[in-house]
Amino acid sequence: MLLQFIINGLITGLLYSLLAIGFALVYNTTKVFHIAAAGIYVFAAYMFWWLSGYMPLCLAGGLSLLLSMGLNYSIDLLVYQPLKRKKASNNIALVSSIGVMTIIVNLLALFFGNEPKSVSSTFKGVYDVGLFSLSQPQLIQVGCCLVLIMGFIVFFLRSQTGLKIKAISEDELLYAGLGYNSRRIRAFAFLLGGFFIAVASCLNVVEVGMDVNMGMNVLITAIVAMIIGGTGKIEACVLGGLTLGLIQSLVLIHFSTSWQNAITFILLLAFLFIRPQGLAGYKQRTV
Amino acid sequence: MEYILHIAFMLNIYIMLVLSTNVTVMANLLTLCQAAFYGIGAYIGTLFLMQFELPIIIIALCVMGLSGLCSIIITLASVKFKGDYFILATLGFQMVVYTILYNWIDVTNGPFGISGIPALKLLGIWELQGVYAYFAVSLIAVLLMVALFAGLKLSPYGRALRSLRSDEQSLQALGRDVSFLKGSAFFISAAFAGLAGMLYASYASYIDPTSFTLLESLFIVSALFIGGTGNIAGPILGALFVVILPELLRFIGMPESIAAPLRQIIYGLALVLVMYFRPQGLGGKEIIK
Repeated sequence: MLLQFIINGLITGLLYSLLAIGFALVYNTTKVFHIAAAGIYVFAAYMFWWLSGYMPLCLAGGLSLLLSMGLNYSIDLLVYQPLKRKKASNNIALVSSIGVMTIIVNLLALFFGNEPKSVSSTFKGVYDVGLFSLSQPQLIQVGCCLVLIMGFIVFFLRSQTGLKIKAISEDELLYAGLGYNSRRIRAFAFLLGGFFIAVASCLNVVEVGMDVNMGMNVLITAIVAMIIGGTGKIEACVLGGLTLGLIQSLVLIHFSTSWQNAITFILLLAFLFIRPQGLAGYKQRTV
Repeated sequence: MEYILHIAFMLNIYIMLVLSTNVTVMANLLTLCQAAFYGIGAYIGTLFLMQFELPIIIIALCVMGLSGLCSIIITLASVKFKGDYFILATLGFQMVVYTILYNWIDVTNGPFGISGIPALKLLGIWELQGVYAYFAVSLIAVLLMVALFAGLKLSPYGRALRSLRSDEQSLQALGRDVSFLKGSAFFISAAFAGLAGMLYASYASYIDPTSFTLLESLFIVSALFIGGTGNIAGPILGALFVVILPELLRFIGMPESIAAPLRQIIYGLALVLVMYFRPQGLGGKEIIK
């Protein structure tokens, strides 16, 4: 029984990790508190649901990923970059981001209605492995998440682009001053960030369904995972996501699901006060 | 007439909420948890109204004091964390308060809400009845608040608060207690949001946690930034915008299923456009850093 909780927690944790990576990619490279990512999450889910009515599930998922990446990039192009050219502060970008999130979510509500929806999939089987059982969607989640996370970490730690992302997170001005194209990395971060958020969204909604207001909750959990893991290190998001998923799941043994948000934030506050750099972060001195 | 007064009452409530948010934004402390204080005020006010028969002034002061005390958590966070971490902490506070209101069934009756909240009693004798009386009381509250904030802006305290926006370190070097400044700003902000909550609870005579969600907080912040920050006209303009617009849409005769998302889209669009073309807001004076 306990093992089942641990397994479920780790699987949710993998999804949180994907989301946290998606958010951190944008947050670290541009320093924009990208609340509109909640909109991207809902958008991906709704596109997946809408397209899956017309085409096979895999194709619908793929198309929804592409659309979400495009949307995430166009938000940068249409909202954040103009603001940056005007030298607007991060708080202004944050407030604009709230506006963008509102627009996306309500456009979806306008076209598809407010009521909860679910993707009808053929993945319904449950495998019993003696001590614990795994449903088919969970297996797919584990597979996709592991492949993507491993791939990302290897790519991020070993490739030139990964190094450039790290450089931009440290000091964008210096990076541009050395003659590199910082806009290209920015675009890349938004595209890849949108991709990770959309993958997590599609994987999750197959199992639990969707409604238009789910985005904010999920996003905040992802940000908490990012901070628990360690800021400044994108690969640490995985650590944070798994920890958060595990703790949330273990808490479920004693409390009902509705307390989950409170637990998440008590954990966040505990981390911020006791270990603000996160599990694997660098110790930073803030001015 | 009653309909117009109802709108005017809600407008007053939102003016109070947006103005109270402006106090902390004036000090460059963007919070996303105003609806939490609004809710705390509403629930504490309900408790007082249902348990004790006290004049309105005493209940209002108690509610303001207690809501203000709840802001100590936010103050602690603001002293400890800077920038985005602080905003995240306020988001967290909002979520925790909502979760508590939703789940602590013994006290708040959870998702079912509390109904039959008694009316406010002027001097403990005359019950406020009808929308006229509530409009009058809320108008008095708003006028008091505007007068207070106008005075506050000119006072040394208000200047110190505004200088928090430009340079915290110099302020500290000049011997000002920054933590106290932040704490008192949050106290004032939370107290007035709580007052708005109490008035609303007593007027509606029914409250449930769904009025005090994170989306409500974001809505208040949107109203503030559309209207403008840093002065008194800006927030009032913002509250006018967000309260009058839905009524106009209803006037055109749009069905609610379309009008509800549509007005949110208009708010979002207005927010994005205002932030780009006029970052101080339509009627505001200062730009948030």
